Amino acid sequence: MSFLQIRALRKDYGIVTAVRDVNLTVERGEFMTFLGPSGSGKSTTLYILAGFENPTAGDILLDGESLISTPSHKRNIGMVFQRYTLFPHLSVGENIAFPLKVRRLPKAEIDAKVKKMLKLVRLEGFEDRKPAQMSGGQQQRVALARALAYDPPVLLMDEPLSALDKKLREEIQHEIRRIHQETEVTILYVTHDQEEALRLSDRIAVFSRGVIDQIGTGPELYANPATRFVAEFVGDSDFVDCRILSAQNGRADISIGSSLTIRGVPMHGGGAAGGMAALMLRPERLSLARGSVGEGTANLAATVTDIAFLGSNIHVAAAAETGEALSVRLPFGHEAASSLARGDMVSLGFDPASAHVFSA
Amino acid sequence: MVLLTERDSPPPAARLRLVRPMNFALTVPALLLLVVFFILPVLSLLLRSVMEPEPGLGNYAALLGSTTYLKIFLNTFVVSALVTVVTLAIGFPVAWALAIMPSRLSSIVFAILLLSMWTNLLTRTYAWMVLLQRTGVINKTLMGLGLISEPLPLVNNLTGVTIGMTYIMLPFIILPLYGVIRKIDPAILQAAALCGATRWQALTRVLIPLAAPGMVSGALMVFVMSLGYFVTPALLGGTANMMLAELIAQFVQSLVNWGMGGAAALVLLVVTLTLYAIQLRLFGTARMEGR
Amino acid sequence: MLLNFDRLGGWKWILLGITGLTSAFLILPIVFIAALSFGSSQWLIFPPPGWTLKWYAMFFADPRWLEAAGTSFYIAAIVTVLSVLIGLVASFGLVHGRFIGKEGLRALFLTPMILPVVVLAVALYAFFLRIGLNGTVTGFVIAHLVVALPFSILSITNALEGFDKSIEDAAVLCGASPLEAKLRITLPSISHGLFSAAVFSFLTSWDEVVLAIFMASPTLQTLPVKIWATLRQDLTPVIAAASTLLIVVTIALMLLVALLRKGLKS
Repeated sequence: MSFLQIRALRKDYGIVTAVRDVNLTVERGEFMTFLGPSGSGKSTTLYILAGFENPTAGDILLDGESLISTPSHKRNIGMVFQRYTLFPHLSVGENIAFPLKVRRLPKAEIDAKVKKMLKLVRLEGFEDRKPAQMSGGQQQRVALARALAYDPPVLLMDEPLSALDKKLREEIQHEIRRIHQETEVTILYVTHDQEEALRLSDRIAVFSRGVIDQIGTGPELYANPATRFVAEFVGDSDFVDCRILSAQNGRADISIGSSLTIRGVPMHGGGAAGGMAALMLRPERLSLARGSVGEGTANLAATVTDIAFLGSNIHVAAAAETGEALSVRLPFGHEAASSLARGDMVSLGFDPASAHVFSA
Repeated sequence: MVLLTERDSPPPAARLRLVRPMNFALTVPALLLLVVFFILPVLSLLLRSVMEPEPGLGNYAALLGSTTYLKIFLNTFVVSALVTVVTLAIGFPVAWALAIMPSRLSSIVFAILLLSMWTNLLTRTYAWMVLLQRTGVINKTLMGLGLISEPLPLVNNLTGVTIGMTYIMLPFIILPLYGVIRKIDPAILQAAALCGATRWQALTRVLIPLAAPGMVSGALMVFVMSLGYFVTPALLGGTANMMLAELIAQFVQSLVNWGMGGAAALVLLVVTLTLYAIQLRLFGTARMEGR
Repeated sequence: MLLNFDRLGGWKWILLGITGLTSAFLILPIVFIAALSFGSSQWLIFPPPGWTLKWYAMFFADPRWLEAAGTSFYIAAIVTVLSVLIGLVASFGLVHGRFIGKEGLRALFLTPMILPVVVLAVALYAFFLRIGLNGTVTGFVIAHLVVALPFSILSITNALEGFDKSIEDAAVLCGASPLEAKLRITLPSISHGLFSAAVFSFLTSWDEVVLAIFMASPTLQTLPVKIWATLRQDLTPVIAAASTLLIVVTIALMLLVALLRKGLKS
C-alpha cells in the first residue's frame, strides 16, 4: 500500500470549484512536486493536506489511516510556508525547540535535537540570533529545521523560495535536495517554477484549472506531455496549426499549410481525421539549415525575425510560412548561425517522433 | 462550473479555519459596554429634549428663538473657524519643514510636539492662564519693551480662547499633514522645476494641491474637535463668549434643565456627526479626539 | 526642489523660522510653569522675586492633593487593565472574525473618539444619577473605559493586522493547540500593540477632565478634578507644583515608550 494516498479530492467554495477529482499516491521518501500556475489548485490541495481546509469530498490516507478528521495540530505534519513564518519574538534555537516544547519532551532531548537540526541546515552558532537579524535564505533554512525537528512523516513546502532572489534560490534548492537525501523525509512541494520542479523532484504532478493533467518524472513530462498545457508548462515549446490526415495507434499523419505532410507524429487527446490540431516543437530539438525548403517531409520553411546571443547558446526567432512564431536554440559556434541575418530564409528540420500533436 | 484563476495563496476563507472561526461573540463585551453606557444614555438624553418639561419641540423653539443662545452658537462657530484657520496657517509650513529637515533637527521638534500633546490638558490651560494674565509674562514683556503702556486684556476673552485652543490643536494638524507631505515624491517637484515652474508656482500649483487632501481633512478634524471643546473655553474664555459645550454643562449642572441640555447636545451632535460623515465620505477614515 | 531641504534657498530660513517660533510657542508654557513652581511669588510674577520649594511642601502637606492623585492612579490602573482585556478580545473578533456588519461594528467602536465628550458626560451623569453610580469608583471606571476603549481597539487591531497569520498557522502545524498558539506566539508578537493600548488607556483616564467633573463627588475626586476646582478659585502656585509633577510623569512615560521602542527594534 502506498504511503500517502489522496483519493477523489474535491474542494468547492460556494459555486467555485478550486480542486476536483485529484487522485495521487506518494511513496515513502519520495519528493513530489505540485507544479502549476496560480489558481490551478496546487496550493489548495496542500492546504487540505495541512488541515487548514476541509475537502468538500474525497479522502487522504497516511499509512492507511484517514487524516481528514484530525485537526492540524495533531496531524504531525511539517510545513514550510511561502512567507517567512519564524516566530519573531523567539530566537532561532527557541523557534526550532518550539514544536518539541509543545510536545513536552525533556529539556536535554530538546537541546540535543536543536543542535542536530542546526547542523542539518548548516546554521550552527546561530541559536541565539533573532529572526529579524537573519537574511531571507537563512530564515527559510531555520523554518525548514523547525518543520523537521519533530521528525514528521511528511513535509509540505508551499513555494518556500518565491521570496528569494535567483542566486539564493538555487543555493537553497541545493540544500533542500541534500536535506531530502539525508533525512529521507517524504516531501510535497508546491511551485509554479518548472525549473525548480525539474531540479528537485522525483515526480511532478502538473495542475491546471483544479485538476491534475499529468503525473510523472521530469523526463517523462518533457518527452511525453499528455496535454498541450503540460507541453507548454514543462520545457519551452512552440505550436504550429495543422490538420490531421489520419490517426491510429497514437500516431498521426498531419498536413501543415497546403503542401507539407508529416507522417507518424505521436498524438495526444484523440482527434479524428480532418480535424484541426497543434503540432508542438521544442526549440532545442529543431535543426536549422540555410536556404529554402529541402526535400524531406519534416522541414518547415521560415524567415528569421531575430537573433539573440545568450552565452552558451544562440536563440533564433523565426516566423513559419503559415505565420506562427517559432524559436530555435543553437549551440554557440553553430556554423549556420554564424552568418545568419534578419530576413534570411531558413528551413527548420525535426524528427517527427520527437514532436507531438495535440488535437484542438 | 466556475474555476478559480489568479490565486496564489489559499482564499481568505481558508486562513480562518485553522484557529477556530473567531466570531461575533468576542466583540460582545465591548459592544455591551458601548450600548449600555454610551448609546442608550446618549439616546435617552436626546429623548429628554423632546419630553421635558412637556412633550414637544418647545426646547428647540426656546434654543433657536433666543438671541442669547444664537450668540453662543455663533461664537462657537467663530472660535472654531478662527482656531482652524490659524492652526492651518501655522501647521502647513511646520509640517513641510518637518518633512524635509535633517532628522537630527526634526526629532527635537517632534519631541516638543509630543511633550506638548501628552502634557495634561489642565496643565497646559493653566499655563496659558498664568502667562496671559494682567501681570503675566507676556504683558510684562510687552510693557518692558515699551510697546504698550497698559496691560492688554489677553484672557477671559476671544484672544485667550483662540491662543489656548490653537496651542492644543496644533499637533493634530501638524502630525497628519507631515504624513501627507512625507508621502509626496520629491521627484515630482524636481519635474515641476524642470518644466519651468518658479518656486512660487511649484508651491501653489504642485505642492499645495498635493497636500490639499491632508489640509482639508486636518482642518475638518480641528474644526469638529473645537466645536465640542469644554475645558479650555471654560477657563480661558469670558462669560461674554461662552461656547456650546459649556452651555450644555451649564443647563445640566447649574440650571438642572435636562430638556434644554438635551436639545443643545442634539445640536452639537448633529453638527459633529454631519462633519464627520463628510470627512468619512471624502477621506475614508478619520481619527478624532474630543475633550 | 521644494522638498529638498538644502536646495530651498532663502525659503529654508523662512520655514525654519516659523518652525522655531512654533516650537517655542509649544514648549514655553511648559517651561514657564515648571520655573514658576519654584518661584516665591504668590501671584506667579515673572521673573520670580526669589526661589522656594514651599509650593511643593504645600502640595505634599495637603492630604486632599495626595488622595486625589491616588484616586486618579487607582482608577487609571483599573481602566487600563479592563480596556486592554476587552479591547484584545474584541480585536480578535474584528480582525480574524467573519460576520456581517463587521466594518460597521468597527466604526461603531471608534465613535466615542469623535463624539464631544461633554455630551457623553452629561448623558452618563443622567444615567448614573438614576442607578446611583455617581461619585463611585465604578462610575468613574465605566465612564473612562468608554473613552479609553477606542484607543485600545485601534492599537490592537492595527498590531493584529500587521501580524502575519501564517505564523500562527505555522505554530499550529508544529503541534500547538489553537489556544496555545495564540497565547505563546500571537500575543508576544503583538506586544507593542498591547503596550500602546495600555499607555493610551492609562493616559486617557489619568488626564480625563470632563467626564471626571461630572462623575466626581466631594469625597471622590481625581487629580484633574482637584486642579479644576482649585483653578476656578485662584491660580495658586500649588497648581504649578502639581503641574510640574505631572509634566515629570509625562516625560518619564515618553522616555519609557522611547526606550521600549528601541528595545523592540534591537
